[in-house]
Amino acid sequence: MAVVWARLAFLAGIISLFHAGYSAAQHRAYMRITEQEYTSLPTDIGVQGLMSLLLTMYGILHIAGDFKEIRANVQLQNKSWETVGNRPTFYTFAHRGRALSPNYIPPKSKSLLDNIENISS
Amino acid sequence: MASLDLDWEEVREQLRAWREDNTRHSEEVIDMWEYCLKHYKHKLGDERWMVEEQVVVAGLDSYRLDIAEHSLVALNEQFPGSLRVRKLKGMRLEALERFDEAMDVYDSIIRQDETNSTARKRKVAVLRGQGRIADAIKELTEYLKIFMSDGEAWQELCDLYLKEGDYSKAAFCMEELILTNPHNHLYYTRYAEIKYTQRRDPKGGLDNMEIARSYFCQAAKLNPGNVRALYGLFLSCTQVSSSTKCSAQKKKETQQLATWALKEIADRYSKCRTNAMDGSKILETFGSLSITEKA
Repeated sequence: MAVVWARLAFLAGIISLFHAGYSAAQHRAYMRITEQEYTSLPTDIGVQGLMSLLLTMYGILHIAGDFKEIRANVQLQNKSWETVGNRPTFYTFAHRGRALSPNYIPPKSKSLLDNIENISS
Repeated sequence: MASLDLDWEEVREQLRAWREDNTRHSEEVIDMWEYCLKHYKHKLGDERWMVEEQVVVAGLDSYRLDIAEHSLVALNEQFPGSLRVRKLKGMRLEALERFDEAMDVYDSIIRQDETNSTARKRKVAVLRGQGRIADAIKELTEYLKIFMSDGEAWQELCDLYLKEGDYSKAAFCMEELILTNPHNHLYYTRYAEIKYTQRRDPKGGLDNMEIARSYFCQAAKLNPGNVRALYGLFLSCTQVSSSTKCSAQKKKETQQLATWALKEIADRYSKCRTNAMDGSKILETFGSLSITEKA
């Protein structure tokens, strides 16, 4: 929900910014037509531009998400060698974990009973 | 097929987090895929293929070949002739222990694309899977001559040297890794542990212990929560101070360092004390922490 508001704020800010720019251009043209001296932008256009800039910045910050910590070592505080030392491109599959799978068939091996039968016969 | 009451979006987020974190949760991935995400795979969009790849690797890891093959077939249909899919086929052959055929697959990938680094790395993994550690080391050093900056390959080489017992070369590999990531406390800890193991080295036993002590210090400085580094610090300090070649001044300093490390460890244990676990016994057993000759 917060993302929807942030998106709306961003959109409103951008539209308002364009509107302020357009009205400033219109004001300039009006001054030229009525042959008045162009001194400065009218205050309301300036205020609108500034407010829309702030609104856009607020919207962007919420859309972009959290900042990452600047200190490089803080991210690693809670990580152990298990995760950092993991090498996915070098995974080998010939480990004992396969015995835990339901598809595993243990290799046939001679049991002690076989040996005893061989001796007695 | 049973399906749990999990929110498929949460499952997707979790798989994405595991993908980015580089962790190995093969059985959980398979469970999540089998019982939840498989039924929603058409809703995943572009991410579907990355999830399928993750499922293939997880399936091969936990020996659920039926699931892995299913996803592999889907990937093959979507991306025919892709080298990445061919690599996955090679991995499947590895899981079935058909190592020679897997080597052929990887060789064909390298012939087709000289710059493909993952196929070369898989060849090293094939040799490791067969138990031919010396050949794997040779292959990996050849690889590192070409791709020098691959941190994962250096880690793997360090591990292979440790398997062979060649501690000095393993220490060299860790040094390379420390150079690339100087803020990673885990690398310092591992390097210090390798140096600590080299204390029987006739050339520089005490030097290695002092190097180990300083690297444990650096690791503890970077991350005060690294209890392994604190233990290592305590042990290396006691070793250095009890050695005969140590001057009185240094002995005093190292003993102070050892008591500081002990205090830090006790603090850590007292912070996570529960009713069941009482930290006082640990302090008693510290006295008996030492390196003995018995294996």
